[in-house]
Amino acid sequence: MRLEIQNVSKRYSKNKYGLKDFSITIEKGILGLLGPNGAGKSTLLKMIATVNKPTTGIISLNKNSIIKDPNYMRKQLGFLPQDFGVYPNLNAYEFLEYIAAMKGIGGKNLKPRIAQLLEGLNLIDAAKKPIGSYSGGMKQRVGIAQVLLNDPKIVLFDEPTVGLDPEERVRFRNLISDLSNDCIVILSSHIVSDIDTIADTVAIMKNGQLVSYGNQDDIVQNVHGKVFETTIEKEDLAAFKTKHIVVSTSRKNNKLVIRFITDTSNAIAAPKEANLEDAYLYVTKTN
Amino acid sequence: MNLLITIIKSDYLQRTRSYAFLITLCASLAIAYTFVPATDAGYSTIRISDYVGVYNSVWFGYVTAIMTSIFLSLIGFYLVNSGIKTDYDTKVGQIIATTNIKNFTYLIAKALSNFLVLLTIFLMVGIMSVTLFFVYNAGYPFEPLQFIKPYALITIPALFVISIVAVLFEVFLLKYSTLQNIGYFFLFSILMVYNPKTESDYSLDVFGSKIIMHQLEERVREITNSEEEMAMNIGFSIGNHHETKTFEFTGIEFPTSFIVSRLLWMALGIVLLFLSAPLFHRFNLKEKPFKKNKAVINLQSNSVKTIRISRLPSPLVNFSVFPLIKAECLLLFRNSKKWLWIVTIIGVVLLAVLPIKVTHQIVLPVLWFLQVSRLSSLTTKESMYNVHYFGFTSYKPLSRLLTSQIFAGYLLMLVLALPLLIRLIIISDYVSVGAVILGALFIVLLAATLGILTRAKKLFEVLFFMITYANINGLSIVDYYGGFEHHSFYLIQLIAFIILLGSISILMRKSQLEK
Repeated sequence: MRLEIQNVSKRYSKNKYGLKDFSITIEKGILGLLGPNGAGKSTLLKMIATVNKPTTGIISLNKNSIIKDPNYMRKQLGFLPQDFGVYPNLNAYEFLEYIAAMKGIGGKNLKPRIAQLLEGLNLIDAAKKPIGSYSGGMKQRVGIAQVLLNDPKIVLFDEPTVGLDPEERVRFRNLISDLSNDCIVILSSHIVSDIDTIADTVAIMKNGQLVSYGNQDDIVQNVHGKVFETTIEKEDLAAFKTKHIVVSTSRKNNKLVIRFITDTSNAIAAPKEANLEDAYLYVTKTN
Repeated sequence: MNLLITIIKSDYLQRTRSYAFLITLCASLAIAYTFVPATDAGYSTIRISDYVGVYNSVWFGYVTAIMTSIFLSLIGFYLVNSGIKTDYDTKVGQIIATTNIKNFTYLIAKALSNFLVLLTIFLMVGIMSVTLFFVYNAGYPFEPLQFIKPYALITIPALFVISIVAVLFEVFLLKYSTLQNIGYFFLFSILMVYNPKTESDYSLDVFGSKIIMHQLEERVREITNSEEEMAMNIGFSIGNHHETKTFEFTGIEFPTSFIVSRLLWMALGIVLLFLSAPLFHRFNLKEKPFKKNKAVINLQSNSVKTIRISRLPSPLVNFSVFPLIKAECLLLFRNSKKWLWIVTIIGVVLLAVLPIKVTHQIVLPVLWFLQVSRLSSLTTKESMYNVHYFGFTSYKPLSRLLTSQIFAGYLLMLVLALPLLIRLIIISDYVSVGAVILGALFIVLLAATLGILTRAKKLFEVLFFMITYANINGLSIVDYYGGFEHHSFYLIQLIAFIILLGSISILMRKSQLEK
């Protein structure tokens, strides 16, 4: 499995790009796609999923251009869009059967597969009830189930943990880890904790461009020795923010404990071990 | 006041900034073009016995005022009757419900926004009428007042009342759009057949067109010295072109009582809106379709179960279109309330027992029209429910998904027409059998094409309503199911339309998928 994205751009108007000259090669494993809102993550995923076409550039899977032959991708794709909907009058079984029919899968194993997916995603008790009566988290889980219907080799999750409670998030992470053994998984999110525990490699996007790419250790290395913690008065926070990148604040004894990133050495503050969130903020705030 | 203007403005912009509105505007312009036929056209719109007016400003102004009043009263309701529903569907209603806006302010804002939408279409129609006056140039002077007067006294009050009626229907029947559509259909039919006898009775004519028609009739009687009732044709009548005679229509002086009645109708509308305001649901509606599950289900997981992907049973590859057709049929089946199914079943029984001519000419088109909501959602439901990401990234969405959607709709129409088809086969009327079979495909393809083109249900629903209404009133030019006598090329003509619509729908969908 090899997904190649070469010099891909998506232009909306003369000077407005959703994605600009984006290149990346992805092989088996989990790629975490991080970026602030509007960075182009969803645009990229929609193009890989063959929903949209790039204005320029090439996207190929195993050397097959999916722009020329989108059905090559569609046959092995599992895609969870960010803002998907469901048919409210169908129940979960019926909806998944409908999606299975669209994906071109069937046979006697389909029903037990759907049942096991619903069981595994804790939906079996509500499976015969109309999806219109489901909560947001349950609908999200139906979305996750449809991704796994067809043994996908390319799996795209766009903000998959929206609406999931902490326990469901754990279950989702376990599921992703199991999935990644023999396929490409791309997981997009702007929440670093969704990515840092499971992604093999991480790509950070900003303004439609790739600003950092590599394994987590390499990316974290960018902020090595630049993360500090200090305590300041509350009224000094605004001035502090103009000089440093503030990662987090917490209250302690009527003062503020600040974790921050700075390029200059700081004798007063205590150095801290850098993590992916620090690296993400550093890359997106400074580039 | 500022609040009201802001709401009206936002609502108006939201509705008019859509591709569907643009298409509707274009369709209205095309229809307006036909209101005053060219001198050599093979049809007439308003004709009194063998007479039509000379093409002066008065004839143009009054004819286009009547035609617009009827046309927009008929389809205008269907164009604007979803203002509140949109707020409900998009959940904006929940935000509105938590603000301190008064019910009446919200409802009047919706009514005025409806009115503005209809006025926009009316403005385009008016511009087209004036343009045609100059294009046909029959040598008469342009008198703007002869356009303004009938528009101000006939068309504009009618549009205002329709705007309010649409809001009232939404206040009481928000979740029953089919009931709204059918209810208005009957209300419109009743209002159209109302026949005033005295001058004061004209005040009761909501659409205000009867007084002009009466005056036209009187004028022709004067010319012909006839005491007999004149044959009055309003709408699109084909033929008899060679017999047409002309007369000069100089307009009418509207009685004061009629002018006051227009204002009273508008005032009555506002009063009704005011009275209904306390009954407005304010978006607090019971979730009727799922009443068995009174509360939204939110399963709390008891234990973390895990899925071992590798241990799941492997499904087989099956690119057959039949599972998709089955699923599409299920979606069609689920897409309506029980009462509509009961009415549909009654219609199917009537097809089996009523005289065959009545069933073919009246019952069949009405029965098919009852499926309007199902048909209009055939190719729009993906966008409507945001499921298009799944559909458009599925394997061969054009040849598999679109085909199955059209086939499922066609199957439904044929099943409903089955009793009539069997009766026609028994009497060996194979031309009619062919017409019904082709007609079902035609209307399904029309729904699919307009759905793909506009990405909305409205245009097809309005058009289907107009086609059905015209058919019930015996206008054979829009007969798509062979209910009336036709020339020998009728079936070939139907096939040509089917091929055309099929090709457009495939090309449009292909283009959408590629983009």
